Amino acid sequence: MKQYLSHILATLSAHKELKYVISEKRWQTDFLRFYHSQTNYNISKESIAMDMTLYKGKKSYSFSIDDPNLEKLDVALAEAMGIIDKLPEDPDFVDIENDLTIATPRIKPNNIEKIPLETKTAILAEIAQAVDPHNFAIYGTFICNYEQRELINSNGLQKSWESSPIYLEVKAVHNESQITVLETFGGEDFGRFDKDVFISRLLTKIGYASNEVVDVEPGQYDVVLAPRCIAEFIQYLGYGMSARALDQHSSFFDGKLDQTVFPEYITIIDDPTDNDLITYDYNNEGHIYKPLTLVEKGVFKAFTCNNYYHHKTGLPKNGNSMSCMKLAPGDQILGHLLGKLKRGLYISSLHYMNFINPKETSLTGLTRDGTFLVEDGKITKVVNNLRFTEKIERILRNIVALENRSETVPFSENYSFFGIDAAKAPHVLVKDFNITSSTGTI
Amino acid sequence: MEQMIKTIIEKLGGNGITFADVRITKTDIEEIYYQNGFLRAYNSAMDSWAIGIRVLINGCWGFAGSRDLSVDNIDKLIAKARSNAIHGSLFQKEAVVFPALKPTIASYHHKPKQNPFEMAKEEKLDFLGGLAIAIKPQNKIVHSYVGGEFMRQEKYYANTEGSYSHTSFYNTLPVMSVVAADENGIQSRTWPGHMSAGRAGFELFHSQEFAANTERIMKEATDLLTAPTIQEERSDIIIGNGHLALQLHESVGHATEADRIFGMEISYAGKTFIKPSMLGNFKYGSEVVNIYSDSTDPAGLGYHPLDDEGVPGRKIDIIKDGILVDQQTSRHIAHMLGLEPSSNMKASFADDFPLVRMTNFCLAPGKGSLADLIADTENGYLLDFTKTWSIDDNRNNFQFTTEIGYKIKDGRITGIVKEPTYFGITKDFWNACDRICGPEEWAYHSTFHCGKGEPGQVMQLSHGIAPARFKNINVSVKI
Repeated sequence: MKQYLSHILATLSAHKELKYVISEKRWQTDFLRFYHSQTNYNISKESIAMDMTLYKGKKSYSFSIDDPNLEKLDVALAEAMGIIDKLPEDPDFVDIENDLTIATPRIKPNNIEKIPLETKTAILAEIAQAVDPHNFAIYGTFICNYEQRELINSNGLQKSWESSPIYLEVKAVHNESQITVLETFGGEDFGRFDKDVFISRLLTKIGYASNEVVDVEPGQYDVVLAPRCIAEFIQYLGYGMSARALDQHSSFFDGKLDQTVFPEYITIIDDPTDNDLITYDYNNEGHIYKPLTLVEKGVFKAFTCNNYYHHKTGLPKNGNSMSCMKLAPGDQILGHLLGKLKRGLYISSLHYMNFINPKETSLTGLTRDGTFLVEDGKITKVVNNLRFTEKIERILRNIVALENRSETVPFSENYSFFGIDAAKAPHVLVKDFNITSSTGTI
Repeated sequence: MEQMIKTIIEKLGGNGITFADVRITKTDIEEIYYQNGFLRAYNSAMDSWAIGIRVLINGCWGFAGSRDLSVDNIDKLIAKARSNAIHGSLFQKEAVVFPALKPTIASYHHKPKQNPFEMAKEEKLDFLGGLAIAIKPQNKIVHSYVGGEFMRQEKYYANTEGSYSHTSFYNTLPVMSVVAADENGIQSRTWPGHMSAGRAGFELFHSQEFAANTERIMKEATDLLTAPTIQEERSDIIIGNGHLALQLHESVGHATEADRIFGMEISYAGKTFIKPSMLGNFKYGSEVVNIYSDSTDPAGLGYHPLDDEGVPGRKIDIIKDGILVDQQTSRHIAHMLGLEPSSNMKASFADDFPLVRMTNFCLAPGKGSLADLIADTENGYLLDFTKTWSIDDNRNNFQFTTEIGYKIKDGRITGIVKEPTYFGITKDFWNACDRICGPEEWAYHSTFHCGKGEPGQVMQLSHGIAPARFKNINVSVKI
């Protein structure tokens, strides 16, 4: 970056009327994908990209350059300066980010170097060997990313940060019935990975999966949602907690600031300081990223709000992107939550959720990777995957108890950019969860 | 570039490599978006070069990709791809079998009518700005969005069997949407739906009649605020092209990607309910249902003379007269199933690993116009323009909500309904199809955003489709 920055700044120094934001991202991934207890493929990818936005008053123009060099930069800069006067204004734009706060430095290892392919395949071979006597094979991914970011802007902001998330996802699939159970590890500190505990948890789930397979009828069920499920619901709920959604008239929380929206034992925090999660020092604009309480004892407390929407909506600015969501634990052990179910469901994971109406938080989705019938407080049968059609706000209002400990749940983001996030949540007991159809398949 | 890629192929000979291929892409992308009548973003990413090297050693794939095409880096990528394959093979039970193909040399260079990269930026801004003003917030319209994404990609492919291709194309994704709100909630309408992309340049905005439909979407979004919902438990439904493309995509397209049969996508996208034993005998749909994969038609985004592992483009029946007859495959998976490879291995960019992907995945036309089909329907709904989609990880249980439904009574449209939602099981649903409109209604509907694989790739592909009717479908889900 430094070699190009002085060149860019020299060019821009003759144009005092321009403001700018420049960022450089160096990204690598080592990606092992496996199926049927063997390697599918091993991928290594790397990229260097420079993104730049020029502003002139309320006009702006952005460009990206992969594998930048001076010639590419000169061409792109000349084009940007040639067009910017001709662009229409965005009347809602006021200024670029001006938060100059520097985060406490954190050293993050490059996990691509720390966890070589030999280590990955050895771990996977051991897991595969453990599940094989049960007639299960393993499918999934073992990923390490490494990213370095540098960001400067004409308001004097100059920041850099790095991250190196790890994501191990193992699905154990029965070789005949195709019944599937899931175990994951995610974070940035591989020292927290305990292979024996990981295998033990997977084998426990395989034990549940050895029961009879049944269908259940659509209807309302009391359910225990695994941490992965409630964490994903909260991530979806987070859509409406953004100033952007509020501005677009699609936020459930419109008009609900400082109002009670959920039971008093519901507290949701976006916490980038929790080292169990994949942590960030700044948001994409360089604003410092600090813990933010979104819901406190059932009361909605804050919208996440970046620089642009701060100026547009008047809401206080913060650097939160809801990448580190936590649902506070409660006071019950998991056995007690299950014990409260006379006939209910244990749901391990969710699949393909989509909003029907985001303002109402209505959505549909399915269960996957282990749905179980609970009878008289015990897991007794495997249930074919189920479809639900629900409102997230209703699910949270219907939480009647929370487990007294939380689990870290990693998620991979696979659409616009391949990234890894994590959330933290306990098991929760939810009454009257609305199952709308059965799939007939595991 | 031809010399460079052939030099790399020469370097990949021997050293235990039984097959290797190299792709190089150069991609230009430009995005222009207006929000609420004002320019919100003008972004460009030009001259993005990428390279990907894939090798098969000890029956295991290794891959390395980068945006840096310098000679030093290419040598590192070769070493990395080899290392990945060798180390991957330490955790392997069955070697990849990769039957040889005879070499093919191919080229294809598409020219749009209105090249978005040669047009003056002011011309694009003037047109899109005009649309933005036409749909800016007014009355009950509270939010609006219009814009386009333009992509040009040039690709070089070579493999150790001697195949080589050089192609280039232009794809455009135009979008337009409005949101209406009042005390009844919010409703949205888009034009021309979520699969609005095309193998074209800026002319797509004109052929898709964006300017002629601004009033329509604002009126319909506003009218939906006070529209009723469907009250019936079951109903006949006609699905318009603005949604049927996605129904086909989710419940047949992804279901017949054969990598899912073997669990290669379990960790993210999921499996399929299809088993190898179903080929040739499984009654996937009614007799009127004919579905094919066609990478030989240059009108769709899925056209290629050669796929990303050297298989020449093919048109194959997937469902013939309602019976499942073939699958979308790679060379490896086709061998596992005893099929001929279908030419469906594609990667979004050269530094992505190729996967089994839809190309031009089409429902063959039947007979008659949409007007004829509506006139032939006593009671039912015409559902159009996707709002919400969801399908299980076996591609078996789906539920869709469209932006709008048009009530049909005695062969005439008599009103609209909001958030029409239907669900079904894939086999039952396609067996309930009793009529498909004819060639006059058939068109490609295309997307830039089909997600699959890890690391994730978003593929550009097309669906040829004509409106179709499905009998006695469950529309009982209440939200």
